[in-house]
Amino acid sequence: MANNAWWASALSEAVNNEKPLAVVCNGEELALFRDRQGQAFALEDRCPHRRVPLSLGCVVESGIQCGYHGWTFDGASGACTTIPNLHANERVPARYAARPYPVAERNGFVHVWLGEDEPNESVPAATYQPEGREYTGAGTISILHEEYLAAMLDGPHCLISFDAVKMTDFFLGDPRLQNDHLVLDRGAVWSTRVLPPQFVVDYPLIVRTSVPVRGGDIRVELLTEQEAPLCTVFIASGANRRGTTSVCWRGFLHQSDVSHVPLRWRAARKMKRPPFRVHTQVDGKLLATLLEAPSRDLARLRDSSIIPLRAAV
Amino acid sequence: MHTVSTSNTAAGQRTKRPSDWTPVNYDLHDTWFPVSHSRDVTSRPIRRIIHSQPYFLWRENGIPQAAEFHPSRLAALRHASSAFTGGSGSYPVIERYGYIWAWYGDPDHADIQLLPHIPFLPLDGNIPGYTQRTVRFDASSALSVENLIDLTHADFLHANTIGDGISESDVVEVEWTSETVTRTRMVTQKSVAPVMRWVGGIRARYQDFRAVLHIHLRSNVCISYPRFRPGYDIPNLQPFLPVGRHRSRCDVTFNTTAAPSPFRYLMPRINYIIQPQDNSVVRPQNERYLDASDRRDLHSRFDAPGTRYRYQMEQLAERQRRGDFSYGADAEPGRDITALLGMDG
Repeated sequence: MANNAWWASALSEAVNNEKPLAVVCNGEELALFRDRQGQAFALEDRCPHRRVPLSLGCVVESGIQCGYHGWTFDGASGACTTIPNLHANERVPARYAARPYPVAERNGFVHVWLGEDEPNESVPAATYQPEGREYTGAGTISILHEEYLAAMLDGPHCLISFDAVKMTDFFLGDPRLQNDHLVLDRGAVWSTRVLPPQFVVDYPLIVRTSVPVRGGDIRVELLTEQEAPLCTVFIASGANRRGTTSVCWRGFLHQSDVSHVPLRWRAARKMKRPPFRVHTQVDGKLLATLLEAPSRDLARLRDSSIIPLRAAV
Repeated sequence: MHTVSTSNTAAGQRTKRPSDWTPVNYDLHDTWFPVSHSRDVTSRPIRRIIHSQPYFLWRENGIPQAAEFHPSRLAALRHASSAFTGGSGSYPVIERYGYIWAWYGDPDHADIQLLPHIPFLPLDGNIPGYTQRTVRFDASSALSVENLIDLTHADFLHANTIGDGISESDVVEVEWTSETVTRTRMVTQKSVAPVMRWVGGIRARYQDFRAVLHIHLRSNVCISYPRFRPGYDIPNLQPFLPVGRHRSRCDVTFNTTAAPSPFRYLMPRINYIIQPQDNSVVRPQNERYLDASDRRDLHSRFDAPGTRYRYQMEQLAERQRRGDFSYGADAEPGRDITALLGMDG
């Protein structure tokens, strides 16, 4: 099963022209690499010769070279360009190829198109427009991908934290469908304030999570009560092996001049401390206590967006 | 008005089995919601939410305004206004009883006559700040209202503040119209509530009380008049704002101005103790009412007001599903309820 979608599968800086990067994106094993001109490519991480992961090889002038027998594959077409030690009069059969995937790179993310249909133009990270310094990272988390997405709606505090901010689980309305994403606001307070959240009449902060109906691009934003953005985090997520989830993220602080920001927040920003932390370890006990609330809408929508994948070649 | 007392309810009456109750999905239109305490609305906009519909509130020259968009974006986004504001972006709004009331529904149907009558709150809202508090419920508004109607839970969940369920006599009555449900509980010789004993200074061992709860079904406005003897009256307004299917907000007013100090100051804050106790049960309860189930709820005779509330809500919702948003001839949301609450007795 796969849904026709672009998946942000790696940070741009993690993909280079020397050593292929092995990633698992929505269950698909991929080898990502660049050519000398910096163009990024994705091939199935499986040499069609003896099924060895191509990511164990290296990047050469003409593409990616398998580390086992040196067969070399073109990044764009997947065509096998070289089989070492062939005679001069021998040619690589035209049908010899690794499986290629369409790639689009945008705003610091390498996207791969998964699905049978022709790729569309809606590359997820196109909406991520960083300003100034970015904070990035990647990891693999022991949680099912669908559960990761669900927890982003039901209890993002299990998965991400903002410096000096306490998220509440008081949803400001129900999830709304916007651009193929379910968007949900929840109240938040500065953790530096003495008053507990239940005594606050109007929350001074909003945490807005945006979770995809198809694909794995998540956006988490910290906003003031006037909805001025303070911090934006774009998290690319996808199913890895054995029920785990791969994530990579980029985030930044907005240059907005916001009043009523605590001194601790300002001081930490001066010291260039990250304004947020994406958790790469999940507290199972905390997660287990999350009630399925807004994520019920997501489960329904994601089920209907999945279409059967035709038999793989 | 129809009336039923639990003490004379005929047992064994069989009616057609109703479909399961899924209160989380109610979205009743054409009513005034007390969307905020008046004092919380200033020139600086705040956002409140009714059934996921945004209500930005602020004042211009002291006059309250309510709109779908932040005032700084109102002009630019007016074209995207919904039917809730008739394309103008602005909701009908009234200030009364210390609240900003905003209309939810067809703005052409907004009528000041449909505002509830609240006899124990001053029309101009001139009431001390200590009487007003905000609490949040981790459940839809209908489940939160049912929690308030249900009195037997209080004797267990809130025993440490409100008191145990042991009494000489406990009678619950319910009466209703197509737009309201009124529950009256009369208890004699009940152990004095801890809050009244330790803070209110009531030294007697037992007390009688009569608690009337008048509920406006569309708006979840709960007008409550408990009278304790010996003790005090604690008239209070608990309007459950339906933020969404999972959460509701309650900007409460406890008019304890006639009670002695420190009881008058502490009683409005008792919700900070009671509400987490309620949340501990309504929170897991809420998701179990999202979808209809074959496993129906069981009821005791004490649940008569609750089951009546469920039935009346369903009737009203069904009428609105058919496209009928009018108020029935028996409704009169603005009628004088002084006698109904027992304030004159």
